[in-house]
Amino acid sequence: MDRKIRVVMAKLGLDIHWRGVYLVSQFLKDSGMEVVYLGNKFPEQIVDAAIEEDADVIGLSSLGGAHMTLGPKVVKLLKEKGLNHIKVFMGGVMAPKDAHCLEQEHGIEKVYLPDTPMQAIIDGIRSKVALA
Amino acid sequence: MLETNLNRNQDPSECLFSDEHVKQIKANYQDWFENSLRDVDRESEGKYFTHSGIPIKLIYTPADIEHLSYTEDIGFSGHPPYLRGVYPNMYRGRFFTVRQLAGLGAPEDCNERVCYLLDHGATGISILFDLPTVRGYNSDDPEAEGNVGACGAAVDSIWDIDAFFKDIDLGTASTNIVTHLPSTSLVIPAMYFAVAEQRGTPWTSVAGTCQNDFIMETCVGSAPEILPPHASFRMQCDVIEWICKNIPKWNPVSYNGYNLREAGTNAVGEVGTAIANAMATADELIRRGMSIDDFAPRMSFFWDLHNDFFEEIAKCRASRKVWYQLMKGRYNAQNPKSLLMRFHVQTAGVTLPATEPLNNVARSAFQGMAAVLGGCQSLHIDSYDEAYSAPTEEAALLSLRTQQILQAETGVCSTVDPLAGSYYVEYLTEQMVKRIWDYIGKIEGMGGLVKAVEDGWLHREISTYNMEYQKKIESGDMKIVGVNFQAATETETTAIEVYEYPETYSRQKSKLEKLRKDRSDTKVQESLDALRNACHREENLVPHCLEAVKNLVTLGEIEEAFREEFGLWAFPLL
Amino acid sequence: MRKIDDIITSALSGDKACVSRLISLVERDDEQAPYIMRQLYPFSGKAYYIGITGAPGAGKSTMVDKLVKMFCKNGNRVGVIAVDPSSPFSGGALLGDRVRVNIKKKEYDYFFRSMSSGNIMGGLSRTTKEAARILDACGKNIIIIETVGVGQSELDVAKATDTVVVMLTPESGDGVQIMKAGLIEVADIFVVNKCDRPGADNIAHALKGMLDRIDYRLSWKPPIFRTAAALNKGIDKFYDGLWQHQQYLNCDKKIMLRRQRQIKEELKRNIETEFTKMILRDIYDGNDFGVALDNVCEHRIDPQNAARQIVTSWLSREIPAILAPNVAALGQR
Repeated sequence: MDRKIRVVMAKLGLDIHWRGVYLVSQFLKDSGMEVVYLGNKFPEQIVDAAIEEDADVIGLSSLGGAHMTLGPKVVKLLKEKGLNHIKVFMGGVMAPKDAHCLEQEHGIEKVYLPDTPMQAIIDGIRSKVALA
Repeated sequence: MLETNLNRNQDPSECLFSDEHVKQIKANYQDWFENSLRDVDRESEGKYFTHSGIPIKLIYTPADIEHLSYTEDIGFSGHPPYLRGVYPNMYRGRFFTVRQLAGLGAPEDCNERVCYLLDHGATGISILFDLPTVRGYNSDDPEAEGNVGACGAAVDSIWDIDAFFKDIDLGTASTNIVTHLPSTSLVIPAMYFAVAEQRGTPWTSVAGTCQNDFIMETCVGSAPEILPPHASFRMQCDVIEWICKNIPKWNPVSYNGYNLREAGTNAVGEVGTAIANAMATADELIRRGMSIDDFAPRMSFFWDLHNDFFEEIAKCRASRKVWYQLMKGRYNAQNPKSLLMRFHVQTAGVTLPATEPLNNVARSAFQGMAAVLGGCQSLHIDSYDEAYSAPTEEAALLSLRTQQILQAETGVCSTVDPLAGSYYVEYLTEQMVKRIWDYIGKIEGMGGLVKAVEDGWLHREISTYNMEYQKKIESGDMKIVGVNFQAATETETTAIEVYEYPETYSRQKSKLEKLRKDRSDTKVQESLDALRNACHREENLVPHCLEAVKNLVTLGEIEEAFREEFGLWAFPLL
Repeated sequence: MRKIDDIITSALSGDKACVSRLISLVERDDEQAPYIMRQLYPFSGKAYYIGITGAPGAGKSTMVDKLVKMFCKNGNRVGVIAVDPSSPFSGGALLGDRVRVNIKKKEYDYFFRSMSSGNIMGGLSRTTKEAARILDACGKNIIIIETVGVGQSELDVAKATDTVVVMLTPESGDGVQIMKAGLIEVADIFVVNKCDRPGADNIAHALKGMLDRIDYRLSWKPPIFRTAAALNKGIDKFYDGLWQHQQYLNCDKKIMLRRQRQIKEELKRNIETEFTKMILRDIYDGNDFGVALDNVCEHRIDPQNAARQIVTSWLSREIPAILAPNVAALGQR
């Protein structure tokens, strides 16, 4: 029996652009995942939600520049609570070097920059989630 | 379809082409269609559409605009229906204002950039703010974490506006304060006006614009704490009412089609929503006792310039005509200035992908050209690194130069509305006029824009549009060069410089600490109490904000008061 | 992967991640689910259950956010289960109740869980009850179950609580709608929300008129509270009203009777489910069924008699075979 993947999606902090995150949420839903949409929330609230919702994945959206500060904070909080099984993905607008840095040094599984096809995001999440 | 009370003179002698001429053309067209085209060409008819869905024929002839009369439908520039332009002399009289955006880090840093741009020929400045400022938080509020000074200037108090405009004469500058939301439009312009007052600059010479659009608060941008539509709309009207009565050269509202378009709508929705907003505002201000001519001349608009070259030009032209028909036909405006739709244009950020960023120089140039051919009053051309961050100095300069090349080298500004008379462009323009009116009619049918927003209609429109757009991109129906069309297998990364201002937070924080020590707590409390009370009465909030900012109340404190008094709201989407 | 007993013990002492994992396991009818419920059920029964239902757009999520804050401020520990519809096509879901929940105080003790109503594994009713009981067992003394009252199963979920709150707005339409949805009989408290909008008075009056026509002499007459949750108006009175209903239930042990009625329904339905699982499956998969289907389609026998034949023949054939091992297991009693 295929268990449904549970994803918590959030806009990081004050970031105003909701077009992308809402679209991705709908596509994830259509692919059979259970998406809990948080709207704009801050790292502590996002991590609390991920725990309560027993999420496999946290999806963060950032086009406003907070990706280097608030994004890694989410990963840090997860580590502090020993929740290493929750994978954090990010989407948004940022310099490629920032994306690289987030993936290599800050524990973000994958950063999806603009123009990434939806299916790539769906497949990416599916492959990184270990359905134990 | 709204009644506009405008008489239509359908005198046949008024039409552009004679009846016999058109009959002949129609016959020739049939012949051409059947005999000059290949089967595959004939079959392609019905398969081409503009971005917003207007069908495009293979060829346009006078027969497609046979019912148009030059005087009634097209006219002269500076004359009804203002299709060809708002001023008779258009760019020969005054070039489109080359307005470039500035806003990074602490106000002191922004001051440097503003002076740089002014020195290099920019004739007007648009000021952007960082997210905490836009959403009404101080730099040391927990919500501001990670965002202070990123993508815009950090403004917490009147001291910051003073620093921002150091050595700049507020009596001669033309400043577009991009406040987005009505709630911040109450506060930051108040700081600007208070600073002018303190410097001895009379309010009669202060010129500029603030955005002040409740659609920004309630639809375009998500946030952890959003004010309800009716509250945001009330603030929008308060700002317009007060500024119209006190700051003669200031445009208190710029109906923002740009951000709505970027959030997810087509050309029709962009213009239709903005004009519906203007209608709702007009109705409210008239209810408050003003007359249409008191405020209509100060209403300006802000359009997006997207990729479909001719459709966007048609949109610009059509918006002028619809506005004229509205102001004359429904509101019976007497002042000729009320009939003019003036708009600022920004080229579409959403069309600039991160892949092969230098391609965006070409995209923006084409879009800029379309804006000029559409008759904009001022223009901002996006930088090629839009997809990454706020522009670098080099990218900002290139955008500025693009505009200057348009003005000085291409010759397109030498004559008014060069595309008038083009069978295709006139056809598209008429189509856009009709579709915009239909859209406005739909909103009126729902009880007006504020209600349509409260009910979630606009959010659903945006969400549906985005879903369809995404499917078109993924299927390849909509082509983006370098991304899904002619995509390079090896993605080259152009070295992009990203500017960072990490010390902004600490600078703002110490400024705030000093401010809290310097100010009188009693005065702060009094002004906040007066403000809170005014929220629940039919009182204009601007004077209370002026008083508060002069007493060194911070932006965050004022906005927090609004949130508490008006309550919070969320998109009615889920 | 930790052992289930470890998870249960941690959950009982308040480990949020473990509580959350247990809820997931029962939600997807994991093979450990019966064991989990067996272990936890004895610890439940101490919390006060509130069901909040109403049409979409009534402002339930905003109200829940306010209630959670009020309960927590007064030292309560709150569990919330918010039920949202899921996609009938993909089986996926987009659950948005948390958008309106913005609780900043770290000392507030609450647990918020979103649940999709399309969970076909166990049926909405069973799953929600089990999740609520887990929260109950793990220390919450207030459980709020929030549903969109559009379907029968969502209504059933709301009904399985101590206090059912029905929320309406001025746009809820006329009273006929409330009657049709069966909400009049079910509600213990009515809340007319968004009462800052025009039409609030009308709907409150219409509601009052309907309630006045019912004989409440021997029972609780549902009060009508007017609120504007987003503006924090009227929440205090509504909050007090919830406690008043709880007090009413506690006197003369009415709450026991109410819960007994609910549990009786639940037991019956569970038995039906087990029955279906164990027995009907066997009949539907059997040879007789296929033969009967042909016969009915060929008009050799009518459906009613065909069904009777199948059941009778199955019973006489299978019962002895089923009973034998069970009798042996029961041993000598």
